[in-house]
Amino acid sequence: MKMSSALAKKLQTYRISFAELQEILKLMKRPAPIQNAHQEWDDVQLNPVEWAVFSALWSEHCSYKSSKIHLRKFAQTLDASVVNAEGENAGVIDLGQGERIVFKMESHNHPSFIEPYQGAATGVGGILRDIFTMGARPIASADYLCFGDEFSGRMGLLVDGVVRGIGGYGNSVGVPTITGQTNFHPRFEKNILVNAMSVGLLRKNEKVALSAAKGVGNQVVYVGAKTGKDGVHGAAMASESFDANSDAKKPNVQIGDPYFEKLLIESCLEVLQQDLVVAIQDMGAAGLTSSSFEMASKGQVGMRLNLDLVPVRDSTMQADEILLSESQERMLMVVEPHKVPKVQSLFQRWGLDAVVVGEIQSARRVQIYFHGEKMADLDPDWLVENCPRYSRPFEPWKSTRVFENPDDLLDAELMKVLQQPMGLKDWLLQKSSQAQHAAKTPLYQQYDQRVGLLTARGADHDVGVLRLPDSARGLALTVGCRPWLMEIDARLGALDAVLYPSFQMSLKGFVPKGLTDCLNFGNPEKIEIMNEFVASVDAIVETSLLLQAPVVSGNVSFYNETLGQNIISTPAIGVVGLREDIRELPEDVFLAPGLDVWRLSHSAVFTSSQSAPKMGFCGDFGASQVMSWVQWMKQLRLLSQLSGVRANQMVSQGGLLLSLVKMVQGGVGCKLTAPLSVSDLLQEVLYQSVWVVEKSVPFGDRAKALGLQPELLGQTQLDWFEVREKCKISVQDWQKLNQNSLRRSIESLA
Amino acid sequence: MTPASARLGVVRFPGSNCDRDVLSLAQVAGYQADFLWHLDHFNIQDYQALVLPGGFSYGDYLRAGALSARSPVMNSVRDFAKRGGPVLGICNGFQVLTEAGLLPGALVKNSSLRFRDGWVDLVPENKSSFWASQHSQWKVGGQLKLPIAHGEGRFYSPPDLLRQIEDSGQVWFRYADNPNGSLANIAGVLNETGNVAGLMPHPERALWDWMGSEDGRGFLR
Repeated sequence: MKMSSALAKKLQTYRISFAELQEILKLMKRPAPIQNAHQEWDDVQLNPVEWAVFSALWSEHCSYKSSKIHLRKFAQTLDASVVNAEGENAGVIDLGQGERIVFKMESHNHPSFIEPYQGAATGVGGILRDIFTMGARPIASADYLCFGDEFSGRMGLLVDGVVRGIGGYGNSVGVPTITGQTNFHPRFEKNILVNAMSVGLLRKNEKVALSAAKGVGNQVVYVGAKTGKDGVHGAAMASESFDANSDAKKPNVQIGDPYFEKLLIESCLEVLQQDLVVAIQDMGAAGLTSSSFEMASKGQVGMRLNLDLVPVRDSTMQADEILLSESQERMLMVVEPHKVPKVQSLFQRWGLDAVVVGEIQSARRVQIYFHGEKMADLDPDWLVENCPRYSRPFEPWKSTRVFENPDDLLDAELMKVLQQPMGLKDWLLQKSSQAQHAAKTPLYQQYDQRVGLLTARGADHDVGVLRLPDSARGLALTVGCRPWLMEIDARLGALDAVLYPSFQMSLKGFVPKGLTDCLNFGNPEKIEIMNEFVASVDAIVETSLLLQAPVVSGNVSFYNETLGQNIISTPAIGVVGLREDIRELPEDVFLAPGLDVWRLSHSAVFTSSQSAPKMGFCGDFGASQVMSWVQWMKQLRLLSQLSGVRANQMVSQGGLLLSLVKMVQGGVGCKLTAPLSVSDLLQEVLYQSVWVVEKSVPFGDRAKALGLQPELLGQTQLDWFEVREKCKISVQDWQKLNQNSLRRSIESLA
Repeated sequence: MTPASARLGVVRFPGSNCDRDVLSLAQVAGYQADFLWHLDHFNIQDYQALVLPGGFSYGDYLRAGALSARSPVMNSVRDFAKRGGPVLGICNGFQVLTEAGLLPGALVKNSSLRFRDGWVDLVPENKSSFWASQHSQWKVGGQLKLPIAHGEGRFYSPPDLLRQIEDSGQVWFRYADNPNGSLANIAGVLNETGNVAGLMPHPERALWDWMGSEDGRGFLR
């Protein structure tokens, strides 16, 4: 198709397709594009502000145009525990005793790859605003990170920058980071994942704040940091693949100021608690544009905005820049006129300016004025409701990497090596020093884990646990998705993304209550990516329904591809769970000698390991298998409450042996006496768990009574980790190795 | 003074983030506690004790604690301390007190140049006239387990000042295992009269067994 150079350039700048342009002109009742004498399409009647507004709100990042039709399936998972807040910034779950929690996970992948510190920091800032804009005080954060190979060029710097950024922001605002997951895999080499989750609490008498603008004549109030040129076109950037020139996008990355955010949290919660605000929304992606149009569209009203009143850092800023700036730490509120002075004085006390920038009007138009001129006059629905919805092509999921015999999944060469006298020991020590398996202490000890006085278990545990202030019940937080399983099979990986973290908290006696997702995928215009996306959404819905843990919020990040190479599709999941009290939670590691070590198996599916030469699985994970896993999870939860259960742990990546050796983190070893073969020690099986139990407890009988198959592996002992006569490792040496591996690689960068 | 009638003021700077947590510490000890705003003076007669909580006051801009030390509320804090009133600075509050000249020394970036969260064991050294003076661990060989969370907690002072601090019994606590490179393993110090005290670890984060330790309770009598 031939286009005039002016039009071609605009379509490229604003990342709008020709078909979308035709749709926009039709909505606006403007003349359709016409062809000139040279058969070229001529430029059209849209001013820069109109182009900019459509570009932002019709971007993938803001509109979810490729995913919306699939995301609707999550609605069927909602049950009576979900507080109705449809279309809001985050989901709300009623915990049944007056308190409600608000939670969500969001990606900040693209900015973090370009500028790791600020990218990660503003990711945390953004998700916190999604929480407190609902009136909830943020009480905990979690993160889900994927990096490339630990030894490749920039990776150390990226890990270091991201971790410092998360800490630098989260620690300052006083929200503890209590759990997380960090993966290393070559497929994230050119496109890392930085997903941040936050949980907020609404206590008994606190109301959920909403974002629908209401009340003709009410004032539109801007509060927070001044608007600068940072982050202009950020939403559009996040909707695009990386090319070789991604460094040039550095100016698109926003800069955060956690000090401002802290002031915003306290002041916004104060105005909300005093019922001074009709509606509130943070200015996230596409800044003032998305907040104003979305608030107007949701409230079915119009809005008049005067950009001359918006506080700016740079007086030369143009209307489209003010509208699209993604400067951080800004909120937009709708306030009744007589409450404006009170709102302003309250913000002023916190040192923040609250400025009236517009008014709600009955005519359903958002009218934008700048230097006395009307720059845009648009129906908010055109931007929000009428945004295109794409049904990108996809095919029903078909598993391909099926193996008949589980032993074929093992690395045959490795098996030979392991039969050698020192084979197992060498393998264990080598694995334990790899970034993927090394203790993540050097990372999470840079996060404040206890501010707020609710933390019962921080990031040095498998499951983050908070003690709820009013009811004294325990709230658990875990994140999941194991990328190497997604690489093997998207359905299996997505089922596991929900099941594995749910198993982890069930072992500690928690019941999963709700889910949030952060769907990180490649280019949705490629059918193989869309196939994985749809399979993942379906698998999440399926497990969510079985667990009765609704999916209350989420985020989609597409175009995670660089130079045509897509990341492993990664649907990261955050799970929130509840337990009646937090007494006698089983530990994660060996803490005392002389205890029995048991294994419980549900060996339905075998998979290859991350580094194996052949990738695949063996077994069935159809609907009935998923049901049986969820049933099994319930039984494990019952067993976890048995007195005398001192510690337990899911068998994770690397198989039984690696999972067991990681339990010596507690400073106590164990001796395995059961006749386990090498393949039994290394095989990756979904799902197994290890239990450490007092000898006086009839654990085996209790497990059998619940229909489980217990197997006594050995017992804990001081000083040594031993596998019959095959392998013997000093606990102290191993601890040093495992604790220091990651420290060495990042501390060399300080 | 019975705790039930005693009032404790928690100084609130913009960016303080342990202010609400310190209210819990005071309430557990039976005090009435309320916030003192950084822009206001207050009547020093109204309070029996003051705490400057942790956080990132004024965003830690310039130097941690430097801007807060010059805010209006500190005039009242100074008067209160001069008359022998008990003042405690925790973490950022400690940094503010050194910047305000109410405590000796300075707190600089951790030797790792990184923020550090974790548990530490503290060895009690010299008693404050008020803070933790009745603590059950205050006996030879006793240690306190408290959490730390700071990026700028390395205690520093010039050699002669350090000698003076040591000689005049102004070292309050030392780390059993130094987490940040502090000189002489110093975790907390006192002023010469022992009524003003500051430490980097957080007593308010160790109030109940489920938090990991209860050793913070004894800081208020």
